[in-house]
Amino acid sequence: MNDDNRPDPDDLLVELQRDEVKSKQGRLFIFLGMCPGVGKTYAMLQAARQRVAEGVDVLAGVIETHGRAETAALLEGMRVLPRRQLEHRGFTLDEFDIDAVLVKKPRLVLVDELAHTNAPGSRHSKRYQDVLELIESGIDVYTTLNVQHIESQVDIVRQISGVAVTETVPDSILDLAHEIQLIDLSVEKLLERMADGKVYLGERAELAISNFFKEGNLTALRELALRFTAEQVDRDLEDIRRLKRVSSPWKTNARLMVGVGPSPYAESLIRWTRRAAARLNCPWLVVWVESSRVLTATEQERLTRSLGLARKLGGEVVSVTGENVSIALLQVARERNVTQIVVGKPDKQPFWRKSLADQLILGSGDIDVCVVRPLAAPGKDTVSSLREPVSASTIAEFSWVLVSVFTIASLCWSLVGYTGYMFVALVFLLAVVLAALRLSRGPVLAMATLSAVCWNFFFIPPIFTFHIGKPEDWIMFGMFFIVALSMGSLTHRLRLREMAERRRARLTDALLRMTQSAALSAEREKGLETALRVIDETLHARTALVVRRADRSLDTQAHPASSFDPPAKEWGVVAWTHNHKQTAGRDTDTLPDSFATWFPLQTATSMMGVLGVRLEEETRLDFTTRETIAAFALQLALVLEKEHFIQAIHQAEILTKSENLRRALLDNVSHELKTPLAVIQAALDGTGREGPFLGEMATAAGRLQRVVDGLLEMNRLESGALHPSLDWCDLHEIIATARDAVGTALQTHPVSIHLPDDLPLVRLDPVLFAQCLANLLHNGAAHTPPGTPIKISAGLDGSNLHLAVRDHGPGLPPGAEIRVFEKFFRAENTPTGGTGLGLAIVRGLVRAMDGEVVARNAPGGGAEFAISLPGVETFHEPAVTP
Amino acid sequence: MTALLIDDEIQIRRLLRIALEGKGYNVREAENGVLGLQGAAYHKPNVVLLDLGLPDLDGVEVLRRLREFSDVPVLVLSVRNQESTKLAAFEAGADDYVTKPFSTAELLARLAAIQRRQGADENANLACGGLVLDPAHHAASLDGHALKLTPTEYALLAQLVCHAGKVVTIKQLLRAVWGPQSEDQSHYLRVYANHLRKKLEGSGISIKNEPGIGYRLELSECSNSRE
Repeated sequence: MNDDNRPDPDDLLVELQRDEVKSKQGRLFIFLGMCPGVGKTYAMLQAARQRVAEGVDVLAGVIETHGRAETAALLEGMRVLPRRQLEHRGFTLDEFDIDAVLVKKPRLVLVDELAHTNAPGSRHSKRYQDVLELIESGIDVYTTLNVQHIESQVDIVRQISGVAVTETVPDSILDLAHEIQLIDLSVEKLLERMADGKVYLGERAELAISNFFKEGNLTALRELALRFTAEQVDRDLEDIRRLKRVSSPWKTNARLMVGVGPSPYAESLIRWTRRAAARLNCPWLVVWVESSRVLTATEQERLTRSLGLARKLGGEVVSVTGENVSIALLQVARERNVTQIVVGKPDKQPFWRKSLADQLILGSGDIDVCVVRPLAAPGKDTVSSLREPVSASTIAEFSWVLVSVFTIASLCWSLVGYTGYMFVALVFLLAVVLAALRLSRGPVLAMATLSAVCWNFFFIPPIFTFHIGKPEDWIMFGMFFIVALSMGSLTHRLRLREMAERRRARLTDALLRMTQSAALSAEREKGLETALRVIDETLHARTALVVRRADRSLDTQAHPASSFDPPAKEWGVVAWTHNHKQTAGRDTDTLPDSFATWFPLQTATSMMGVLGVRLEEETRLDFTTRETIAAFALQLALVLEKEHFIQAIHQAEILTKSENLRRALLDNVSHELKTPLAVIQAALDGTGREGPFLGEMATAAGRLQRVVDGLLEMNRLESGALHPSLDWCDLHEIIATARDAVGTALQTHPVSIHLPDDLPLVRLDPVLFAQCLANLLHNGAAHTPPGTPIKISAGLDGSNLHLAVRDHGPGLPPGAEIRVFEKFFRAENTPTGGTGLGLAIVRGLVRAMDGEVVARNAPGGGAEFAISLPGVETFHEPAVTP
Repeated sequence: MTALLIDDEIQIRRLLRIALEGKGYNVREAENGVLGLQGAAYHKPNVVLLDLGLPDLDGVEVLRRLREFSDVPVLVLSVRNQESTKLAAFEAGADDYVTKPFSTAELLARLAAIQRRQGADENANLACGGLVLDPAHHAASLDGHALKLTPTEYALLAQLVCHAGKVVTIKQLLRAVWGPQSEDQSHYLRVYANHLRKKLEGSGISIKNEPGIGYRLELSECSNSRE
């Protein structure tokens, strides 16, 4: 077989792991339609009724019947979940009650309108997040969705219909779907239904509706829905092909990358890339190049939103720093083996500057560059971004510029007689450079211009006119103008860059200080406290730390080093963050009404706790801050994990030490007890055991020896130091060994062995098993009158090995079936001489081998002890010709 | 015949001396490992009785050093009854292992058994009771009748007869019969041991299993003889 045709083992592994996760998860069924009114809810309810008829536990979580009688009729007889009532600004809003579903845990829940936005105060801001949580906890979900609500299709829908869709669901949730069922209806039928008034049109204005439901629009939407479903089916097919080892012609190594900035076009570029990546079935990156330019609040927010969108759509977000965007983008592209760079089509560019697209194309080499026409995001910020409100400080700077230019002008006026007007130009230049070190860009450029004008008007002859007489003065004026402008802007840019560097250095320094204080501090508590204070200082925020306890559950109160104490209702979001390993709380999509934002302290292997950050009231959590906090959180998690490992090692050392001590003690005790016994026994042997006294001594010595053996064995069992070492065994051999071990005590009882002829070799610990059997035989011989037979039988039942020892004595007293296995238990009327440990040891040994032993009275008299060992490997003897 | 007794317990040494001298042994004593090794080199005993819990050296270590210069039969006498300890002793070259407290009669019988092996010659015919093996022709006979054996069965039986009365560990048997790469294939051994057991039934020769350790060929009267 050709190697290239084989599926990549890593891919297969991913597939398998996905299946594994999927098997624990609930399944998601999506009923997809092209627009409202095609009958999605109706189809969903019909499918659900069928499941009810099959006996499945179905719960109607939330159903929008929109007053349609046919749909409402289908709901009859179903379990319907009452809506949750939420108070919001005096209104009472009905909302889907996710907690009630999680408590009731039905097999299947119906959740209409996947793209719905939840009322404020709900756990998640979007309904699809509720659905995700439901399937994660193992509940199947039926839901409905219109194609225009799919995030990656939003731009296309806007182009078709002119309607900007605000309620969207990320494409990733469609990838999760177990099944997508397309509810299709021809456009004529739909228009017919509309005319009959069967389509719910919502509260929208009549005009918008009539615009939306035009035949052309509907046909386009229908095509979109059909194509989308076809693509999904195609991808499923590919999954199947890959798994079935059909040669995979689409094994692409493509990787897309899109560069985004704080522009309003970014979102549309991201969606385009996502669609292209989905079609190529390849990974994609979103790169944001941070330069020294300080972003305005609007830009910051727009960037945060764009990068959030990228994450939601499943893209990997990379942020790098660099002054030249195209060089930085190409560098990332080379490092990450990107095959195609997506860039927006430039609109107007000054003729002397190359557009980003041109620069990328020039430097891209073997990487494809794809130039697409983006759509500006709808909304107010397209305009507002261009007109930042003029701040008070800017006005102050402008007035400062005005005053200083005129002061310099008047000073020079008095000096110009001695120095000549050339000197004045230099003074102005000096002033512009100095101003650039303090002021922002606008005022500096204004100052440069104003100085040039002043110089011209007041100093260049003829004075008090803008007219310049001599041609060399013209040249000089021109040169002054250019030098002043460029010096001003250069100095200003340098200062900005320095500021950005300083900010970055401050963050890096804070991270380093935090790590050092937390990791190197002798006292853990103090170290953590210093670390948290560093975070507080750096972000001007308050923090709370909730640490994982030794049993892997989250602590119920914040770490004492925290600078705020989470309010009582905050613990829900804390637990959510810990369980889902995702950031939640304020300024996120999950429980945004919380007091603080909560970050998981997660390392590669484990979850160490949760870090809560409460920023000052008016600041929002932007992208940079979020990344910074994530970096802090990772460091904290690593420090906590290190602590955890140190403790674990310490624990293990103590265990080893105590184990060694125990073993030494046991060796000593057995030596000290057994040596005198050996002496007594040897001495008795030497006398030949003649005479009644010596005989009694020999019996007592024998009994003492059994007690000592039993106690030592019991100790070994109870310390848990017994680990079976498996080997292939022949049960005949083991039975023979056990009989030998019991020795003379068994001579008074005839023993019969019943084993199937074809009994294979079994894999178990021969020593432990033989000892169990020996103890059972000894017990049988000791508790039955001489001459009564003892029967050993064994057999295999699948991989279950069972062995029984049955005697024909008086049997067990009633109620003793379980107690016989207790230490030092003696049934009444039993002969003395036993140790009371034999059966307890049997139980301990059998349990060490993961088996079970029971005692019962056999039908027909006598006691029976049965051992069963599950999961025993067997080896059938191959046919051997002797 | 000289027996060397290495044990730190004076009472045990005194009692064993009486028992051994009763059987005609010339008994030497050593109270620790180093003295024991010196005694073994100096007296060249015919048999060594070794305790594992010695004050200076571990008994297994004594055994290992002893094996560097002597292949005298060694019987280990110890209070430790864990299989791992027994296995370690056998692998270090012990010929038999008796746990304390012991029965004197059994100890003496085992001592006699391991001494009989002395002087066996690889090329000579091996015999044990009515069983005679002819290494040159890979043939065997039991009480005068030819015994049909497969080559593997023969090899296994030869190993056991060669060390008759002594425990041969599972590892040793596998290595000798199936080759060093088969050390973890103990199920073959179990199967063949069973075959041999059936073929030797009623002959007074039994193949005893020491669980977790190995096999031992046992017979009331067992001797090696040259052809």
